[in-house]
Amino acid sequence: MSYQNYVIAAYLVFAIVLLWDFLAPRIRTRQLLRATRLLAARKAASVPSSPTGELPR
Amino acid sequence: MNPVVRWFHQLGSPPYFDRFAARWAPWAYGIGVLVMAWGIWQGLFVVPADYQQGDSFRILYIHVPSAWMSLAVFALMAIYAAIALVWRIKLCEILAMACAPIGAAFTLVTLATGSIWGKPMWGTWWDWDPRLTTELILLFLYLGIIGLYHAIDDRRAAARAAGLLAIVGVVLLPVIRYSVVWWHSLHQGQTISLLGPSKMDPSMMPPLLAMVIGTHIWFVGSLLARARADNLWREAGKDWVRKLGEAAR
Repeated sequence: MSYQNYVIAAYLVFAIVLLWDFLAPRIRTRQLLRATRLLAARKAASVPSSPTGELPR
Repeated sequence: MNPVVRWFHQLGSPPYFDRFAARWAPWAYGIGVLVMAWGIWQGLFVVPADYQQGDSFRILYIHVPSAWMSLAVFALMAIYAAIALVWRIKLCEILAMACAPIGAAFTLVTLATGSIWGKPMWGTWWDWDPRLTTELILLFLYLGIIGLYHAIDDRRAAARAAGLLAIVGVVLLPVIRYSVVWWHSLHQGQTISLLGPSKMDPSMMPPLLAMVIGTHIWFVGSLLARARADNLWREAGKDWVRKLGEAAR
């Protein structure tokens, strides 16, 4: 194949950019869902059950 | 109500859109990859080499579809932005802003592959030719829209400002398209015509057609995936997102 290196380089650029285009939204979605889950867990943990150990009157 | 109209109304609901995008994005990615894989296989190994350019012409099977996508995505982004500005439809704001990084990616591929092809054929990586320069301005415009969207804290105000820039930027599209006609250009003129006869040999056309279709289907998948992520970001804190986060554990 003539100009083989140029052809390979061009197709490599195409593949890398498409791979980034595929991965970027997936990673962001996963991070958002994880952050939502952690926030919900933190909120649930911070609800005071009975700080002094006294039974509610 | 007409079922199509009802479906459009339903699509405007964030949880409904999330389910829709999560369901169809993988299909669009998958079909897009299959169609492009066939096109690349044909373009690299089946189609004969060009009698003047040798095998370097095979770069056009990624360069031309990417260039077309860079223009088409911008036009679609401007349409979504206009609808969002006029009717204040939140989903259209999200879709318009999801178009920007995909369009920027295709513009980057266009410039990079064009440069890689230009070195052996023109003897230079870059020339301040009207087509190349206007395509570079398009990349800067995409980056400006992305930057503006992320520079303003209020999501809706940010989408409106960036959308306005997208609408104004549309004037660049005919300039890019006709730059090879209006000015003396190193870049070749129109080779492929959808309506009339093309200058390209018919034996070289099927892979190009497959790549054009494949990149469009890929774009649908990417648009849905990016819009879904943006939708989740805007809706963070809502019950349905919390449930989704729990379910994804």
